[in-house]
This record gives sequence, structure tokens and C-alpha cells, in this order.
Amino acid sequence: MSKAINDHIKLSIPNKPEYVSVVRLTVAAIANRMGFDIEKIEDIKVAIAEACTNAITHGKKDDQENFDIEFILKEKKLTMIVCDSGRGCITDEINIPDLNNLKEGGLGIFIIKSLMDEVEIASDIGKGTIIRMSKYMGDDY
Amino acid sequence: MSLLIKNQFDEQQNQWHIELEGEVDIYTSAQLKEAFIKLIEEKKEAIKIDAKNLEYIDSTGLGVLIGALKRLKEYNKDIIIINIKPSIKKLLNITGLDKIFIIEG
Repeated sequence: MSKAINDHIKLSIPNKPEYVSVVRLTVAAIANRMGFDIEKIEDIKVAIAEACTNAITHGKKDDQENFDIEFILKEKKLTMIVCDSGRGCITDEINIPDLNNLKEGGLGIFIIKSLMDEVEIASDIGKGTIIRMSKYMGDDY
Repeated sequence: MSLLIKNQFDEQQNQWHIELEGEVDIYTSAQLKEAFIKLIEEKKEAIKIDAKNLEYIDSTGLGVLIGALKRLKEYNKDIIIINIKPSIKKLLNITGLDKIFIIEG
């Protein structure tokens, strides 16, 4: 009998675009270790990159500072929490892309919500944004 | 891995042919944006993107594609994307962008 898994991994990443690929590689390794299939690993990689992109572009915008990512690994569930301490300007509303009026930005949160099983966004004006998202293994979700 | 962009003008089909290799994300999307601006400045013709070796794209890259398409639409030209990987096709499907770009193969 194996014990229930409840492992935590924390990353602190500079507010610099070149580190987003490092986060993608890290999360791919974590999800692969847990046993996620390739399709779900791709979903998780895109979702975490969107959250990091959001933290870098809407967060503190100071490239001398860092933002934080936490991974919580359970038996069949990976949760990722991305926190920045920026202006806190995004909302939890789902905006379905308007094909007649496409903008060059604003797809990120929509993509996260489409790819992950659970998503919570807490954005406090002046305090920053926390994106918490989870993906389950298996086909039940 | 970063992003490699190879482009040439296909005289026979009268359109740009671009090969993307690697990843388009927040770090590399500016490079792609500049490439598109240059091409469209030079010749306002359709752009065919071969995505055979495109491993990854996210909203920042999709935003660049949308921006390029907007510019091309002013001249009634399209963006055609070929040889797309399933993970990227999925992104285009969920965002509805598969309806505004021409997806082939």
C-alpha cells in the first residue's frame, strides 16, 4: 500500500520572458513524473505559460523582482498556483473570443479556463493576482 | 529552444512561405511580429505558414498571428497554416481561430 501523495514544489521566477520556457519544462517534468498523458501535459504547459505571461505583463513589471509558482501534487491531481504582486487587474469573467472583433491580447485567461479542469482567479486591485488551476488524471474530467 | 523563422516568396503561387521551427511564446513572439511586419511591408500577399516544426505556441503567438491577419485583410489576403501539430490545432479550435485562418493538412 502506498501512502497518499501530497507533495509541494515551489518556484520563484524572475519577471522576465525568457524564463517562461523554463517553467514549461519544469511542469512537463512534474506532470510526466505523475503519469499524465502527453495531451494533458501539453494542456498543462500552455496553461502555466499563460499564467506566467500574465504575471509578467500585468504583474509588477519590474524585471529585478520575481513571481511565485507553487505546484501541489496529489494522487491524481496537479494544482498550480501562480502569484504576482502587481496591479491586480484581471477579472474572473470568461470572455469567449469574439471572432468579428479579434484583439491581439486577452486570449490567455480564456485558454487557461478551456484547458484546465478547475480554475480560480483572485485579483485584488493593488495587491496582485493569484491564478489557481488544477488538472486531473484520467478521463473522468 | 527558441524560434527559427525561414521565409521566402513563392513566385508561382504568389504568396509568402514561412517555416516556423521551435516555440512562440512571450519571449519569442516579438521576433515573429517583426518578421510578419517586414514581409507584409515588402509584399502584401497571402502568407502560408508551415508549422511542421512548430512545437509550441500560446496566446502571445496567436496574438501576433491575429495582428498579421488583420493587416493582410486590409488587402483581402489570408493566412494559411499547414502541417499543424494536434496540440496546436486544439488551441486554434478552442479559441475559434481555426475559423479565421485557413487550416490545411
